Parts: sequence; C-alpha cells; structure tokens
Amino acid sequence: MTELTASNIVAAPTRSDRRRKLLQKLLRGERPYMLYIAFLILLVVFSLSSPWFLSVENFLNIGRQTTLVSIIAVGMTFVIVARQIDLSVASTLALSGMAAALAMSHVNNSWVVGAVAGLGTGALVGLLNGILTTQLSIPSFLVTLGTLSMARGLAMMVTNTKPVIITNETYFAIFGEGTFLGMPVPIAWTLAAMIVGVLLLHYNVFGRRIYAVGGNPTAALYSGINTKWVTTSAFVLTGTLAGLAALVLSARSHAARPDVVQGMELDVIAAVILGGCSLFGGRGYILGTLFGSLIIGTLNNGLVLLGVSSPMQLVIKGAIIVAAVAFTKR
Amino acid sequence: MEPSGSVATQPRPPMPLVMVNAINKSFGGVRALRDVNLEVRAGEVHALLGENGAGKSTLIKILSGVHAYDSGAIEIAGKPVAFDSPAKSREAGIAVVYQDLSLVESLSVADNLLLGREPRARFGFVRKRELMAQAGAFLAQLGIPLDIKATVGSLPFAYRQMTEIAKALMGEVRLLILDEPTSSLTSDEVRILFDAIGKVTRRGVGVIYVTHRLNEVFEISQRVTVLRDGANAGTFVTADTDMRRLVNAIVGSDRMAPAMPRAEMHATRCFESSPVLSLSNACNDRLRAVDLSVLKGEIHGLAGLIGSGRTEILEALFGLRSVESGTLEIDGRRWLPKNPADAIEQGIALVPEDRHVQGLVLDHSIERNVTLSRLSYFSRWGWMQQRAAIRRAEIAIDKLAVKAQGASSLVRTLSGGNQQKVVFGKWNDPRPRVLLLDEPTVGVDVGAREEIYGVIRQAVRDGTGVLVVSSDLVELIELCDRISVIVDGRVARTLVRGEIDDAEQLHHLLQVLQASDQGAFQEPPA
Repeated sequence: MTELTASNIVAAPTRSDRRRKLLQKLLRGERPYMLYIAFLILLVVFSLSSPWFLSVENFLNIGRQTTLVSIIAVGMTFVIVARQIDLSVASTLALSGMAAALAMSHVNNSWVVGAVAGLGTGALVGLLNGILTTQLSIPSFLVTLGTLSMARGLAMMVTNTKPVIITNETYFAIFGEGTFLGMPVPIAWTLAAMIVGVLLLHYNVFGRRIYAVGGNPTAALYSGINTKWVTTSAFVLTGTLAGLAALVLSARSHAARPDVVQGMELDVIAAVILGGCSLFGGRGYILGTLFGSLIIGTLNNGLVLLGVSSPMQLVIKGAIIVAAVAFTKR
Repeated sequence: MEPSGSVATQPRPPMPLVMVNAINKSFGGVRALRDVNLEVRAGEVHALLGENGAGKSTLIKILSGVHAYDSGAIEIAGKPVAFDSPAKSREAGIAVVYQDLSLVESLSVADNLLLGREPRARFGFVRKRELMAQAGAFLAQLGIPLDIKATVGSLPFAYRQMTEIAKALMGEVRLLILDEPTSSLTSDEVRILFDAIGKVTRRGVGVIYVTHRLNEVFEISQRVTVLRDGANAGTFVTADTDMRRLVNAIVGSDRMAPAMPRAEMHATRCFESSPVLSLSNACNDRLRAVDLSVLKGEIHGLAGLIGSGRTEILEALFGLRSVESGTLEIDGRRWLPKNPADAIEQGIALVPEDRHVQGLVLDHSIERNVTLSRLSYFSRWGWMQQRAAIRRAEIAIDKLAVKAQGASSLVRTLSGGNQQKVVFGKWNDPRPRVLLLDEPTVGVDVGAREEIYGVIRQAVRDGTGVLVVSSDLVELIELCDRISVIVDGRVARTLVRGEIDDAEQLHHLLQVLQASDQGAFQEPPA
C-alpha cells in the first residue's frame, strides 16, 4: 500500500506548459523578477532624462541615501513575513540615536558604550512591541502605532528636543565616515545586515519558523513552534537594526537629533512590499527587499534630479506602494 | 406556548416546494455529489442524514448559492432557478442557518433581526422605536419567545440560535435549512428550538434539517433523505421506517464487513502490552473525569457525537488545552503537557481535524510542511541542512505515496487525500510514541483512505499507540482494537473488538448512551 505506484509518476510538462509557467513566474512568481525589470526601467528612464543621474558619484549617493531604509528593511522583512507590521521603526531610530549619544557623553566618551546603548535601546523597543503584540494579542499595527508615538516623545523629552553632539572620532570612522574594503562604511553595514538577513531567513531554522508562523500561525502552533517567541524575535531584530541605523546616521551627522527621519517607516514598508513580501505573511525574500529599497532610493534621488517637489514625491511614493500591494495580492 | 414537538403532517398537494434533480459536483478530482435528488414539500421538516463527507454540506452549499454545481437542475415551486451567489439564493427564498452563527454579538436581538434593513428617517438616521416595534411584531407572529432588547452576546446559545433562525426568516422565505442546530444545545434548549421549528412549518415553510442525532429525526421530521458517498442512499417517510433501516442506509451494507481475522490476531497481541499513555480522572472545562488508556501497538478509537468532547481529549493530550485536575502518564511517568512543543518532545503527535487551518501551510512546499514539526532533526547549530530536509521530504512522498511533482510542490495544489498524507508525513519519522488522529479521512477519496489506513497500521506495527477520533463508525470498527464512546466529556463505555462488529450496532449504542446521559429522550425504537 505504501509502495511507489505508477500513478505516482507525473508526466513531464510540455513545452507550452513550460512557457506559460515561465511567464507566470516573471509576472507574479515567488521570486520578484518583475522587480528587477522595474528597477532596470527606472534606471533607463532616469538616465535618459537627467544627465547627472548616470555617474559613479550619484550611485554612491543613492547607496548612502538608501542605507538607513535598507538596514531597517531587512528586519521589517522578518516582521512582515511573520504576518506582522512595525510602524515604530523611525521613532525607534531617533530614540536609539539619542540613547547612544547620551550614553557616550556620560560614560568616558566611549564608542563601545554608545554602540551598545544604541543597539540595546532599539532591541528593547522591539521587545516591547513583540511582547505587547503576542502576550496581550493586540494587533501589531496598533501596538507599533502606540510605540511610534511613545518612542518619538521619549527621544524629545530626554534633552527637551535639543540635539546631542558626538565627538568620538572612532565612532565616526566605524559607523559613518570610514571605509571598509573600499566601501563607505554605511554601505558595508548595509551589506552586513543583508547577509545576516539572508542567512537567518533563508538558511536558518529561525527563518523556517518565521515563514511558518506567517504562512499559517495555527498550523505552526500545531507543529510545536513557539509562535509568540518567534514573532517577538522578529520585532527585536527589527528594533536592533533600527538601532544600527541610528548609529550610522548619528556618526554621519556628528550628532543625534530627536526629530530625524520622521515618516521613514513608509519608505521601509514600501521597500519590503515592493521587494515581493506578502502583507498576508509567509512570503518574501531579503534580496527582493534590497532591490525594493534601491528602487525607493533611486526614485527619491531621480525625482529630486528631475526637480519634482517633495510633496509630489510623497504622492508618487504612496501611489507606488498601493500599486505594489495590488500586484502582490492574490 | 402551544403544545408542539411532533408536528402533524397536514395533507398537502404533492406539488414539491423545492426539487433538486440529478445534481453533480466535483472538487478537483473528487466527486462530491453524484446525481443527487432531493424533494422538499411546503410545511415539511425533511431530515438530511449522512456521515461526514457524505455530501450533506456540499448539497447545502449548492442550495445556498455558495458553490456552483456541475450539472443537474434545481426547481422552486415548479420553476427552474439558477443562482450563482448566496444573495440570489436568498432572493429565491432559501435561508440557511449555519452552525457557526452570523450574529453581531454586541447588538440587541432587534438590531440583529433588522440589520441592513433598518427603518430609516431622513439622512439615514434609524427610527429606533419603529425598529423595535417591527422586530417585536415579527417575533410575536412567529411565536418565538425572545427579548428583543437583550444583547445577543448575553443570551444562552439556544436563544442565539433562535435569533438566527428568526433573522433567516425575515423577508420572503420558503425553505429554511438548519445545519446541525442542536449539536451544542442542552435538552431543554432542544425543546425550545423544536417548538420554534413547528411554528415555522405551520406557516408553510419547508425545512431541511441536517443532523447526526437519529432520535431527533423521529421526533421532528416527516421524511428523511440519506446521502452516502455523495449519492442518494434512500428517502423514507419517517413514520414508516425505523432506526435500523436508517443506519443501514447511512452506513451502507457493502461496507459492513471489517477485516476481522487480522484484527483478532492483533487484539490478542496488544492486550499483553503496557499502556503507553493513560489518562485518569482528567477534568477541565470540557472534560468530566476522563479515564482512558492507549496500549503500545493499539489503535484506540473515540466515538461520539460532534461536541461530545472527543477533539478536546486530543487537544488536552497535545498541550493545546489545559488539564485542571487528574493525571496523565506517558510510558508510566506522570507528566502534563504545557504546550504542543512539550508534547512533541514527549513523542506525542497530532494529525488535527482541519488540515487546512491546523495541519498545513498551504502556500508552502511539501518539504517545508513535512519538516516543520521536526526542524531540530534537519539543523546543526540552528543552520538548516537543506539537502537532508529535501531528502526527507522525498522519502515521505515515496513512502506515503503522495501524488505530487516533487518535494517543492505547493501543498495547495494537491488533492485532499494527498494533503492529508503530507500531514501524516510530518510525524512519520521518527515514529511517535502516541499518534493522535482527529477525523483522519474526512474529505479523502476512497483510494487514499485505504492508503492512510495502511500508514496507521504500519505505525502500530512499529509500536506506536494510536488514539483516533472519527465520526465514520465503519472506519472505527475497521481500524480499532478498542473503542471508547464519549458522551458529554466523559467515557461512557469502552468496547473491546468483538463486542460489537458492525457500524449499525455501534451507531445504535451511541444513540442509546447519548439519550441515557441526557435523560430527556426515550430509547429510540430499535
């Protein structure tokens, strides 16, 4: 009864079948090929319409500008694949930056203390998001809407909205202005975050659990997975990466400001969704997220070069997110 | 209240209210309905019987416009109708009351009754007083005793159900379909419900009454139609038939011969072995002092009506539901599961009732699904051994004869039987100590069913103890060494193979035990 039976062997797909499958794959398959094509089109359009666009200088510019979004988007990919959302990332970044700068100014001006304080603060906000979402069963949309406001408020409270100056040269070199293997360090940190993201999501047991929890939380629970712990971990990861982004930003500007990157959660979520993540959970790729954030960065950069006003940029970005979700929806 | 219950059959013209003619319906490769006929007269309660998977719910979903049918015809009052949506079916005068109610719990009975058609004043304001008056008048006319101001969420279940029925009857309703309306009611509540049904039929409404409880059929219906394996297995005038004949039609005499020789040999062996799992005096919100043991290499069945607590026993064993008092021993050690992960670690595995919701991640591959419950076996220091995982999935596909293109096929694309085999594949290796099965062959075609039985028997040969819940009594008799009958959260009787040898007897026993537990019904005529 359990032997291999003849009906078990499925006929090989015909050629027209294969062609149809390829088309399906390109249009709405698991891996976001459409995305790469869209990115190419975007490059061509901008190159043709602006003489400054196609230059090494400008591409490094785009890379630097997308750093913050890309780093946080890696974490957001985990959160969204796990069928959650984190709206608090921009506020978390601001609060973590303040924590890093203040810790450094109070303890020996040590860059290690600053880094630990920044990453730790981000992780703590993530932990809070995760615990509130899983233990109190509040939708993460509402939890993180709350922590968005709280973290921003706290960041402003600690210095009464004044920026905190940073003076540690090593800190600048490591997180903001140095180079690593010829790359500006912000880009190196982005790559590092991406690589860790790829390993964790695609090659680690943790990634399997994230996919399962997002794909069907009940089935994951029935398979012996601690769904609450897995979900919380995704939030902690995102918070920590928001902390890393805070270190990069503050090292680049030699100061931490409580009012930075307001509204950046929109760019981060847009990058992840453009990258082919399903808002309904269980699907998504880190590589897609990278291209998603490159598209957002290129769009920001290109629209500026074309002289599009910044309010209009917001309208265009919003429309793109809605369009992307409409495409990824089944 | 008027005396009611068994409604007198009024002589009515033979013009049927609803005619279902030779309806066919397939899902993927599985034929759910084959040339099914059904005729309901005005003012009649027509019971619809059949085992789970016999096609009752498919038929109802076709009548309510949820599913389209492949071929056949439906007529209402002699006129052919075709509906492609629930709204159209509703327009044609068909109303369905499902088991899971569709009421807004935070609103009052009156608000719920007139939801979406509230009497309005200018600018869309609701005329509250008129709404109350309309709802009150409607209920009075039906003779249903409900407080229209009460919040639905605060009502006992029977009254919620009556609100639902009343709501279904608002507007022009000719056919009312009740899908197992009594499965979670107490006997007093059943009385109230039957009174309400009597009042409805006296207004000329036809009722299709789906149930598993045969004694109710004799109490309330005038005629009975039985479905088996997606086809008609007979229509009877209730007064001219008896329980034995109905059970025969439900079960089918062709499936009455279980594989006895194998079982006898098996039985003698297993009673020498020790219990791998034993539950004594276990209580929680749904269980009342459950005593149960599963021996090494035994298949132990749990029979009972829906809502009797069978699934809850499995859930308690798998750590999904806490046990408040009583003890659980696994291999002689006392232990209580905190959560499914804990239970799995102790070698307990569960094939849950609803594979789409509880068993599988439909949009993921076979490989991802099969390895999900055993991730630690395919990882070193947390890193996935992708090749080992794929190999494992291929072995599972091979051993369980899953018909799929390969390990990377999405589970959603498989047929029901193959999906169920994937769920079994999650626990195939290493063999669990105890395998809990909840309705293991629901929605599975006959061929795959036999293959799944093979998988279960193989597990038992390897020393696993199996505890299986099934509403398919033939299945229980064919598979099990012992069968425990569960009534209202308690083991009412445990039968050893040989004590009972056909599904008909077991069905009868179930009804008797149920009735004697509730004390409300007499033993039905045998």
